Amino acid sequence: MKKILLLGTFFCIAGMLYGQTFSDAIMMKKKEICFAFMFDQGKWDQYWEGTTLITNDNIGTFTRNMYMPMIAYGITDKLNVLLVTPYSKTESTGGQLAGVQGFQDINIGVKYEAFKKDFGKHRVSALAVVQFATPMTNYLSDYLPYSIGLGTQEFTGRVIGQYEFSKTVYLRGSAAYVWRGQTQAERPYYYANGSYYTTYMDVPSAVNYQAILGGWALKHNLRLEANYTVLNCVSGDDIRRWNMPQPTNKMEVTQAGFFVQYYLKAFEPLKGFSLMAAYGQVLEGRNMGKSTNFSGGITYQFTF
Amino acid sequence: MKKITTISLSVVLVIAAVTSCENDLPTFFKFSAYEFSDLDVDGGSWQPILFSSASDIVIEEPVAVNSAEYQAELASLKSATQNISGRQRNAVEYWTNNPVIRWNEIALELAAKYNLIPPPNPDGTYTLPSPANPQGPPPFPFAHPPYTSRMLAYLSVAQFDGLIAAWHYKYEYNRPAPYVTDSSIPYAYKKNTLPSYPSDGAVIAVVSRDILKAMFPLEHDYLNAKAEEHLNSLMWSGSNTTSDIEAGKAIGTTVKTAALARASTDKMSSAQTPKPVSDAIKQAAIDRFGWSWDNQEAPQRPVGLTPLFGQVTMWSVPDVEDVRPGPPPAPGSAEFQVAANELKNIAKNLTERQRKIANWWSDGLGTYTPPGHWNRRAKEYIVKYGLNPIRTARTFAYLNMAVMDAGIACWDAKYYYHYPRPIQTIPGFKTILGTPNFPAYTSGHSSFSGAAADVLAYIFPAETNEVRAWADEAGESRIYGGIHYRFDAEVGLAQGRAVAAYTVARAQQDGADD
Repeated sequence: MKKILLLGTFFCIAGMLYGQTFSDAIMMKKKEICFAFMFDQGKWDQYWEGTTLITNDNIGTFTRNMYMPMIAYGITDKLNVLLVTPYSKTESTGGQLAGVQGFQDINIGVKYEAFKKDFGKHRVSALAVVQFATPMTNYLSDYLPYSIGLGTQEFTGRVIGQYEFSKTVYLRGSAAYVWRGQTQAERPYYYANGSYYTTYMDVPSAVNYQAILGGWALKHNLRLEANYTVLNCVSGDDIRRWNMPQPTNKMEVTQAGFFVQYYLKAFEPLKGFSLMAAYGQVLEGRNMGKSTNFSGGITYQFTF
Repeated sequence: MKKITTISLSVVLVIAAVTSCENDLPTFFKFSAYEFSDLDVDGGSWQPILFSSASDIVIEEPVAVNSAEYQAELASLKSATQNISGRQRNAVEYWTNNPVIRWNEIALELAAKYNLIPPPNPDGTYTLPSPANPQGPPPFPFAHPPYTSRMLAYLSVAQFDGLIAAWHYKYEYNRPAPYVTDSSIPYAYKKNTLPSYPSDGAVIAVVSRDILKAMFPLEHDYLNAKAEEHLNSLMWSGSNTTSDIEAGKAIGTTVKTAALARASTDKMSSAQTPKPVSDAIKQAAIDRFGWSWDNQEAPQRPVGLTPLFGQVTMWSVPDVEDVRPGPPPAPGSAEFQVAANELKNIAKNLTERQRKIANWWSDGLGTYTPPGHWNRRAKEYIVKYGLNPIRTARTFAYLNMAVMDAGIACWDAKYYYHYPRPIQTIPGFKTILGTPNFPAYTSGHSSFSGAAADVLAYIFPAETNEVRAWADEAGESRIYGGIHYRFDAEVGLAQGRAVAAYTVARAQQDGADD
């Protein structure tokens, strides 16, 4: 594994967090193993109530910190497996509601390189990824925007295509469907465009698209990327006027960001390490915070 | 390629495995028409709430069953029951033979829909919902717990009085059910010997529609459509002929008029006070006790929720001061400190069990409120014990009169004592539930629940332990949520039970226990 980017964490879109890792075109070779640790901080002081962008002084500035240990392994050159166990911590400057913290959802993914072909100096590749996530702890999802996660099982199927020009510049696109199940609230009744006499909530499934323009510099030690990401729920209700969000909401987000990674190949004692940094800004949304995210991380890779 | 097949297969298997664990999400109480445990043939002699007796409500005498007019009605009913569509069959199954339950659910859903607190304006002021301009924004009503308790009380009282009148005339005129007179007419529910004139279903459809229309002025179309479907289902199910239904509608109209007349003079319209009145109430508490409550939201709400709800006319308690508790411990006193320390300890070491209890009973903004929660539990007992419609209406009527009276008593104490919330008295205190916009003492949840539990214990004696345990848990839930001191909850429960004692004493005299 060569890179990891943390996209925005808003109310709690777990599926976006590891977007880059699970959606890039890079494969680890057989018996290569990679450990990574990342930190991401997302902040917002405006959010979309339905499609209306508002401020709420009883939230003030909302902060979500994510700590993400990750491991990836090359089963073969064409089949990699990835595992992430994020820890989330939330707080806000306004109001009196208590923030929460704890482990979120364990994410397991398998990435398969289905096609790779060189045309002179150019290279085309196509990959498929399946990903499964499930809560690691019994956190309460029905405590948005503070909750640790959406508290549901999540199953993602993704296809990726990349075109690399002269091994210096590349264009990549990916598309995914994120199937989500139910979450259990702790109240026996809720309203979502009608009465629900149950503790269970359907969490809307989502589609996810990403476009990336990337390139290499400094003798292939530095990588730079610009990304544009859309994650839209395919169903769900809107936050009602001046009401709390809930996991049944139709969350939508469009985000643009930058990513940079530097490989310490030239420094003999540190040659398995790389450093990463990323920035992301939510441009458009629905039932989400207008989050600005900064992240940093370190990876260590070796052959097992 | 083989791997792709394997992966695809795994995808399908995982989705299938996960989907199979999905739970059904009920949007209404699933039950079928059931056999009534008793018909209460003397129900027409019970004491109504708004009338001195059932005979105050007058309807026409029905024509004889062998008359040509009635025979024509039977023929038209027979044709209405034939070739009914899937939609009509669903309506018959939905409304059941105890439609009081469905109207109670409709009321709860509207409460949840309208239980949204008005947002601040861009300049930091707040606009309050107004019945003169129901569209708003903000829309009218804000169906908060006092509003919802009152809405449910008028709905249930009108249903009860309407059914007492229906029962009175059913057994006075003794018109047999259509399927008795003409055995070729099918009946969708459980057969019994209840006379059919006037239609009890029509009484319920009309009073419920009209009370709820008054309470939710933006929902007229929705309520008209519900009532129309309900009234039609009385024919589709073979329950009633046209004249049964018309007589039921006449009772419904008389009763709703009386109920809304009481509502228009019960002083609810002045419960939400202007700021000068609210400030005077606060100053009175400062002069009396040396403390006062302040809203902690940003921007600050200038007036608490319905400061004069404590002056609204009660159903069963002669004077609200009869159930006003003694004062709470002064902020800063040793007794107060014990309660505050308990809250700090709970917040610091909150267990999953405590969190669940806090959320289970939170019934906050956007929900059917604590009165709604207790109506839902009453509904489940009503079906469990096979109560007929008049017993059902009686259960809801005494439950909701007690709950509204408990709310009035609680609000009297809240604004008389004007006691600050934990987020005001404990510096830096954070909670897992939102703190409501009214003073702490006594706890509304506790007062509502203490009253509701005691009425349900009177009606369903075998459930006494369960309902009292629920009430205790509802009170406790506010402590776990960090928004009430233990003394708010304990005194609130006792206050609710004191209110219910008046309600139960009244119920014991209405003739239904004889």
